[in-house]
Amino acid sequence: MSNDEFVQVASLANLPQGRCAAVAVADREILLCHTADGVFALDNLCTHGAARLCEGKLKGNRVLCPLHGAAFDVRDGSALSRPAVRGLASYRVKVTGDAIAIAVTD
Amino acid sequence: MNQNNPAPGAARAGGATVAETLATDSREVPAPLLDQSYQFLGDDDIDCSRYISADFARKEFDRLWNRCWQWVCREEHIPDVGDNYVYQIGPYSVIVVRSSADGIRAFINSCPHRATRILGGEGTGFSNAFTCPFHGWSFSLDGCLQALPARWDFPHVSEETHSLQPVQCETWGGFVFINLDTHAGPLADYLEVLPAHFSHFPLERRRVRLHVQKTLPANWKAAQEAFMEAYHNFETHDGPNGANAQYDIFGKYVSRFIHNIGNYSAESLADYPGDKWRAPPLSENEILQMLSVFGLEHDEVPAGKTAREVAAQDLRHKLGEALGIDFSATSDTLMLDSIEYHLFPNMFFFPGITVSMVYRFRPNGEDVDSSLFDFLILEPLAEGAQHPQPPEPVCLSVEQSYTEAEGLGWLGPVYDEDTGNLALQQQGFKTARKPGITLGNYQESRIRRVHMTLDEFLEEAGNE
Repeated sequence: MSNDEFVQVASLANLPQGRCAAVAVADREILLCHTADGVFALDNLCTHGAARLCEGKLKGNRVLCPLHGAAFDVRDGSALSRPAVRGLASYRVKVTGDAIAIAVTD
Repeated sequence: MNQNNPAPGAARAGGATVAETLATDSREVPAPLLDQSYQFLGDDDIDCSRYISADFARKEFDRLWNRCWQWVCREEHIPDVGDNYVYQIGPYSVIVVRSSADGIRAFINSCPHRATRILGGEGTGFSNAFTCPFHGWSFSLDGCLQALPARWDFPHVSEETHSLQPVQCETWGGFVFINLDTHAGPLADYLEVLPAHFSHFPLERRRVRLHVQKTLPANWKAAQEAFMEAYHNFETHDGPNGANAQYDIFGKYVSRFIHNIGNYSAESLADYPGDKWRAPPLSENEILQMLSVFGLEHDEVPAGKTAREVAAQDLRHKLGEALGIDFSATSDTLMLDSIEYHLFPNMFFFPGITVSMVYRFRPNGEDVDSSLFDFLILEPLAEGAQHPQPPEPVCLSVEQSYTEAEGLGWLGPVYDEDTGNLALQQQGFKTARKPGITLGNYQESRIRRVHMTLDEFLEEAGNE
């Protein structure tokens, strides 16, 4: 794995634990979630109704869709509750000092 | 059986009573803890079938759980508009939601279209509206029908007829309560002495430090009854104190015990088997060693002091620093004792500082032979501090040990002991030739009070 894959997208200072935020990377909108278990990156659109998850809520390691309340595990993107049944794509994250970088290449 | 006893329920263990111990407290004791309110409630056996009969459990769902007040979550579980909490009780499911900045509402978790549960599972969630996952009927946070796909096909449906069914919802002490009975009286009446007593110990100024939910292998009543008396302390916990605990019945819904920690009377064990802790009695230093699980500064009791005084003082200092709270005027009894209020049918609140729990016992789905035990540690919150986000519950199966719950520390083995007899008791109900269980007149009086009030619920509804 090359370091070139990683793109810096945010700083820890702007994403305290318990918060999530959307960033745009390579034509995609990525949701960054900072929980007690670390920083995680996922697709920002709910797999059910395509609502923007950054407008929902992060609770522990779950992110909840604002439209219908579907829950996803931010650690691996898996769908935890209906109406969503398909998980979110998740991306590798590297935190170096204050810098949050993600790898969006497959 | 006790017809020859002129005053059944009047007998007490030998040695110092709780009231006598509280009279020696190094600080002023809050007035409610000086109240005594025991009453003899009878001594008939309690029928075993109440714990094992599917018919009896069905009546409880129809006539008890459908009609009693019960807490669902803490207010800090749903701090923002759109935050919700799903609560399951037997076959019923309720959504509690922060519908506006200062409004909490509750609804039956079932779509008025074809009855599908709108939100699955139990616990916290969030959404700007409720949408049924089956056909997409949508409801606002105050329950009003707001979107109906293929509206043309439902001319017989309106906001008035097909909004979510409301459930009574009130708050007390930082807890959100619901009552499925639309005609239920107000929560304030149901709480009896609790608001007056807990004005001295405001639970709304506490935070959830830990929430453990465990499945227990016994009926919900048997499970909670293991926590309603300190009589089991000697045998189950191999502990010296408990025989002198004080039991109070405040009304149909509220009872209490006060179980002193850090002292005991050897005389109270006069007719217990063997000489353990009786001859010779434990020294103050030995008692202090038993309290070392609290993490005390002292390992010896200075001359002229008692283990109880030393432990209370060490805890004032230790917990005061840890929590940012001044406990210098807090009584020994609040610092140390297990003070347990029970609210019918299944809720326990502890005002203590070190022993600061909340319990809730309820049926596990519709299974008569198992129950769910929610255990919360409610830690005092420093003045001016905001409630942090409560932790997610740690869920333990029947087979798991409380020692697997991170953060429980020394309490883990204690709760394993408390719940270790339940499977045997549930099996025993079924094999018993004697049709009922027998209760002590004083130490097990709170258990009887619950059954009496339960009977009132079952009979009142039956006459409707």
